[in-house]
Amino acid sequence: MNEHRRLSRRGLLQSIATAAGVAATAGFGAVPNLLPPRAQVSGDEKSLPTFTGPAPNPYWNSVGPVVQYPQKFPLVLLTDRPIQLETPRHYFETAFTPNGAFYVRWHLDEIPNAVDLSVWRLSVEGSVERPLKLSMSDLTSKFKPVSVAAVNQCSGNSRSRLQPRVPGGQWGDGAMGNAKWTGASLRELLDSAKIKADALAVQFQGLDKGKGPQGHGSYEFLKSLDLKDSVLDDSIIAYAMNDEPLPMLNGFPVRLVVPGYFATYWVKSLSWIRVLDKTDENFWMKTAYRVPDTPRGNTNPEDVKGGKVRTVPITRMPVRSFIVTPNGESKLIAQLPVIIRGIAFSGYGSVNKMELSVDNGKSWASAQLGEDHGPYSFRTWSMAWTPPHPGRYVLAARATDGKGNVQPDEGVWNPGGYLWNRIEREQVVVGRAS
Amino acid sequence: MRYTTVCLIVVLTGFTAAAARLMYAQFDAGQYSQNNSGAIAQPASPAEADGASYSVTAYPLYPPELAPGAGREAVQSYCATCHSTRYITMQPPLPPETWAAEVDKMIKVMGQPIPEDVQPVIIKYLQAHYTPENRKR
Repeated sequence: MNEHRRLSRRGLLQSIATAAGVAATAGFGAVPNLLPPRAQVSGDEKSLPTFTGPAPNPYWNSVGPVVQYPQKFPLVLLTDRPIQLETPRHYFETAFTPNGAFYVRWHLDEIPNAVDLSVWRLSVEGSVERPLKLSMSDLTSKFKPVSVAAVNQCSGNSRSRLQPRVPGGQWGDGAMGNAKWTGASLRELLDSAKIKADALAVQFQGLDKGKGPQGHGSYEFLKSLDLKDSVLDDSIIAYAMNDEPLPMLNGFPVRLVVPGYFATYWVKSLSWIRVLDKTDENFWMKTAYRVPDTPRGNTNPEDVKGGKVRTVPITRMPVRSFIVTPNGESKLIAQLPVIIRGIAFSGYGSVNKMELSVDNGKSWASAQLGEDHGPYSFRTWSMAWTPPHPGRYVLAARATDGKGNVQPDEGVWNPGGYLWNRIEREQVVVGRAS
Repeated sequence: MRYTTVCLIVVLTGFTAAAARLMYAQFDAGQYSQNNSGAIAQPASPAEADGASYSVTAYPLYPPELAPGAGREAVQSYCATCHSTRYITMQPPLPPETWAAEVDKMIKVMGQPIPEDVQPVIIKYLQAHYTPENRKR
């Protein structure tokens, strides 16, 4: 058996080498044989498939190849134009996600390769008494710097878990990241522009453009927040991410940070802030990024087809937690301790309780919570575990947030593929100690 | 009458283009490169030390291998205007009616002008290669 496995590993390495050679000699064209993401396959030495489905994606990450982009570490490719890249699992061992590892998701393909800060200005316009045009220096010098640790998670993170599968970005669990964001307070900025009395909403637009016709979602990406929404008080115009400038692909020069809300509102390369005196009816508010107005945003294909589902714009992120290690790639050893580690977060405020199960959710024990970096940050957790006997174990992680929301053990389904927050599991194999 | 309309369109288009140039003078965008052989892993130093323009290299493209078959060229020409065809290969196998609905969405919601005689060609191609029954790659 061992000999067989070694042989099959050698065979795999050879086939990767051959594939790489073929790809190299083929030159421009398809690149189907890039290396698969690290540590996705539990004890299985076969290379990854090129797609998953119609069953749920069984891997932690998406199955795309690992690719290299400017200012970024190798990430998992979902799409190359517009660019969507997923963060591999092991980067979630820490509370803060490195800028280089932070996932990338753009909606339109004409995104900045260069920004000239001698020309670039952030406009505040529309229903305001005092329209503003702010340079980067204005933002850093005229407004008090504010910092917040906040999770940025794609609305469609984990979309590849849904059953039946839905079209859209087929993310595994890595369309999320946590950073310390520093910038100007959105409220302070709006106050200095003096919002008019008739104003209702505030709209955000970045430098990205699409090739579709004007008036369509394929032409420009616009998001709005209600002026009455208290999240505006927590929001910042960030020029620093983990104390450094933002990578171009993560929204240089500044991006909107909306702590607790899904990333769809965190407009990248933010350049226009428009105060509106009417509701925003554009595609990205009226049609896209909407969830059923039901508990957990859950519905089913029949009700959607029957036109029975009323929807509302997506807002806060439900409580989630993830097991980061062990990741199932290698056997554990009976009677020797291992530390189970992971992260948890909630868009409704701090995670204050973390429970772990080593028997597939039959019994639960409290894990130790790591440092508290604020209500909207990842919080690390850990628990030492000594597997008693050889065999298979299913680990499960369950978080509870400050509002008392507990992760459920049921999936969710809606046509957008949003709001997945089921209890996560990891199967591990334990071998004999001697 | 017709001449006036044409003139008006030309003038308006000119205005729009000029306005767009002004609006987007602050940045370069949408540069993609077919060369994905490691140009980024070994970057060159920026040329200017004291300017205020900040740039990255062109973004690499990773075009997928679409299943061979009738309609592939139509898909490559009409579906790749706004996005790479990786948007197709990334999807899980989807039922035939979902593919028809996706193409319909691209035309009606996203505004992609696909000629009426090409629409069924594209739908049939996707239904012939990317459903649970027939997807191979």
